[in-house]
Amino acid sequence: MAFLIYALLNTIFVILISPLFVSLIKKVKAYMQGRQGPQLLQTYYSLLKLLRKERVYSSNTSLIIRITPYINVVCIIVASLFVPVVFIPGMTAGFGNVILFLYLLVCAKFFMALAGLDAGSTFGGMGSSREMTFSAVIEPVIIIVFAALGLLLQTTNLYQMFATSLQSSLLINPSTLLISLSLFIILIVETSRIPVDNPETHLELTMIHEAMLLEYSGPDLAMMEMSHAVKQTLLMAVLINVLFPWGLTASPNVLSVPVSIIAFMAKGVVLATAVGVFESLFAKSRLFRLPNLFMLAFFFSFSTILFELLK
Amino acid sequence: MMNLLFVSGLCVLFGVTLLQTVLVTGASAVFRRCSLAAMLGANLLFLAFSLNIVLRNSIFSFNLYQLTDTLRFSFAVDRLAAYFIMIISLVSTSVCLYSLGYVEHHGTNTGKNFLVGMMSLFILSMLLLVASDNTLALLFCWETMSITSFLMVMFDRDKAETQKSGLFYFVMTQLSTVFLMFGFIAIYHVTGSFAIAPLSSVSLLMKSVIFLSLFTGFGIKAGVMPFHKWLPYAHSASPSNISALMSGVMVKVAIYGLVRYLVFVLSPDRWWGVMILIFGTFSALLGVIYAFKEQDIKKLLAYSSIENVGVILTGIGLYLIFQSYGFTDLATLALIGALFHTLNHAIFKSLLFQTTGAVVNETGTRDIEKMGGLIKVMPYTGVLFLIGAISLAALPPFNGFVSELMIFQAFLQSFIIGNPFLKILLFLGLSLFALTSALAAACFVKAFGVIFLATPRSEEARKAKEVSPAMIAGPMIMAAACLFLGIFSFRIFSALGFTLPIPDMAVIGLTLVVTLALVWLIMRLVSNPTKRTSETWGCGITSQNSKMEYTAAGFSEPILKIFRPIYRTQEKVERTYNNAGKSNFKAAKAEIQTFKLFEERIYLPIAHFVQRFSTYISDLHDVDLDTYILYSFAAVVILILAIGWFV
Repeated sequence: MAFLIYALLNTIFVILISPLFVSLIKKVKAYMQGRQGPQLLQTYYSLLKLLRKERVYSSNTSLIIRITPYINVVCIIVASLFVPVVFIPGMTAGFGNVILFLYLLVCAKFFMALAGLDAGSTFGGMGSSREMTFSAVIEPVIIIVFAALGLLLQTTNLYQMFATSLQSSLLINPSTLLISLSLFIILIVETSRIPVDNPETHLELTMIHEAMLLEYSGPDLAMMEMSHAVKQTLLMAVLINVLFPWGLTASPNVLSVPVSIIAFMAKGVVLATAVGVFESLFAKSRLFRLPNLFMLAFFFSFSTILFELLK
Repeated sequence: MMNLLFVSGLCVLFGVTLLQTVLVTGASAVFRRCSLAAMLGANLLFLAFSLNIVLRNSIFSFNLYQLTDTLRFSFAVDRLAAYFIMIISLVSTSVCLYSLGYVEHHGTNTGKNFLVGMMSLFILSMLLLVASDNTLALLFCWETMSITSFLMVMFDRDKAETQKSGLFYFVMTQLSTVFLMFGFIAIYHVTGSFAIAPLSSVSLLMKSVIFLSLFTGFGIKAGVMPFHKWLPYAHSASPSNISALMSGVMVKVAIYGLVRYLVFVLSPDRWWGVMILIFGTFSALLGVIYAFKEQDIKKLLAYSSIENVGVILTGIGLYLIFQSYGFTDLATLALIGALFHTLNHAIFKSLLFQTTGAVVNETGTRDIEKMGGLIKVMPYTGVLFLIGAISLAALPPFNGFVSELMIFQAFLQSFIIGNPFLKILLFLGLSLFALTSALAAACFVKAFGVIFLATPRSEEARKAKEVSPAMIAGPMIMAAACLFLGIFSFRIFSALGFTLPIPDMAVIGLTLVVTLALVWLIMRLVSNPTKRTSETWGCGITSQNSKMEYTAAGFSEPILKIFRPIYRTQEKVERTYNNAGKSNFKAAKAEIQTFKLFEERIYLPIAHFVQRFSTYISDLHDVDLDTYILYSFAAVVILILAIGWFV
């Protein structure tokens, strides 16, 4: 029963807050470029607008592109149960398993890439090919980061990880800092941001993620945008909960849950600003230079493992 | 009761072979169908038999024929053997059903009859191999299995490609028998018995020699790198139902041999585990990397089998390492993960080969560049292939995910081992394992996307139709098994007495379904339901055609580029220019060539050496009479000297 309350609260909160972070990053980037930028609620308005539009399907498409938005939203929402932000629930069969969490994200990506090929457009295929390539190359980094976290916190369950990091002050630990660097790179890669991908253009040379979304319209596009935004919040939450868990509570009551929610919003705003600044400081990197960036993240996380094993 | 099941299953399968190949000449299609139906029934009998033993954890033994005390043809089925009998009979059931439709598409009447007869003997030999309780029976079945499978690979014997594949397969399979025989003789030498029983009081050196020889023997059959080269050849040349059996089941029989000897017979040393882990990791990674570049769908699946055998070996290696340190819980997790992946791979790979067979039948080609858009004309086949691909790509909540999760889980806890170097090795192994798994997902996005999505790339693909019901029913059983084993994995293991630290996929599956229902309901209420069909957006180009789609080669190009040192690709661009300043070119030709590393660096040098050596020997024969007399004289002298020396 406690878990059901957690599930409802956590899901609704994550869904409501995600578009805000998306607009915030855009706003920060706009300020860095000397522009006003969109207002903070713009992403909500766009999503509502899309819900009212009609769906247009290409005559080449099959059922894949029709089911993909649903599969994406479902996988990401179920994955969101694995990353507590309102309070840390007790252990429940299977929830919190880090491998399952990662593979739910892969599942969403798998269908998005398939749907990219569905319409037979040149852009969609290009997007799927690049997306699957880079998701394959980043995968060892992700696993090693979570293995390093597991080594540091002695568990492979996300709930326990956060609970442990809540009790001990990990910020002063050099290993945590190294891991958070890798986690930040993963956040950039997985949310398709500069220098990996440019979320703002629809230009053949730069796009990866957007290329796969070209064929969606109306409510389908809204679902894809929404799941992308929620995914970004989840990855941000993993970084926040490991590095700055303060405010998150393991013993929920009427007082601690709102504190936890407000604390997460504050930390999320800071991280989103950091992401926006980071994006503004870099240029889009050449496609085949990207594995270097991944190797950097791999190096950070693997050196964490070496430190921990040999100390 | 169990005797009855076992014997009647055996008799039916053997009877079908006799009827199809010897007793009835020129049997009709109806007769063949009856034979296949009988085989299906026999497999169901074996399935019931094996499930009974697996659930009750009992032991069944049966003596078929006994010449002397040591020379006997006898069987003993314990839980492990029954588990593999279950794998074989489950996959065979589905393949028999599929063959009801598939067999009629190819070859002459005699050829079809022979194929059905051989298939029956092939399944029987695998079942008996797994059940054997001594090495003689095991070797006999091993050879029967090898020869029947060779004959079936040669089904299309007039094609040059098939002849080459068949020869390659035959040589490799006999090589594996040689190593096995050596290992078994070594065991007989130290124990004086052919029984498959624990080896006690044998020196570590002797055990290591036996292990290496058996590992090579079973490894060749399982397709472990670098002994893997026969798989892509044999699987692509044989009929698809046979590929499904060979890749789904025959490869697993070799895994059975390995597990049987490692767990029950030899008491393994730690370095064996490390060696198996390294072989497993590299088979898995290179297997999927080679699979990625394939344009031939059956070769792609064959390379993916090599990858999955690598995953299974990784699990076995982890088991041996954890066992040697005394971490029994983790060792059990790794071994069950490996064995469960064996079952899962058997299921989804036979599903993929069966659906591929349907596609190849309809389009008449194995080249995926000539397919496309097939899901619209073959919806059932397409969805079934998709389920196989999802399971293979290890996506939750399907079965492939659960077994990979177990191996991941075992890997992630390897920090409890004391030795720091081994720990670092295991973490490196973990990262390569993750890369393998992600590349497998990418590989099957390519396979499914290029075959089934977008628009047809050739006239044949445009004319394709959905296949007959039997060819859908066979893979459908496997697809249902994929979902069932995934969702109920935790419950099944609990019922069998293993409580493993894995998520309960039934709960996760339920959550997924409930979320889907909620999302659908909410979208139904809040979104605009209007739909419209229009053209694909093409940057303003109005007449898009299938030539503008992404191709398989295009899809795999970034991976090919990143892993260039492994593929050893050579890119050649030739241009001819209109002007001297080379600013405007007239024509150009670009090609990417991949280098067959294993074939050109390992197989061919050995083959050339053997050929040179045998040419030298045969040159010795081609001489005059007096030289022959000289040979005899030299032989007599050497003989006399040797006798004087030893006696």
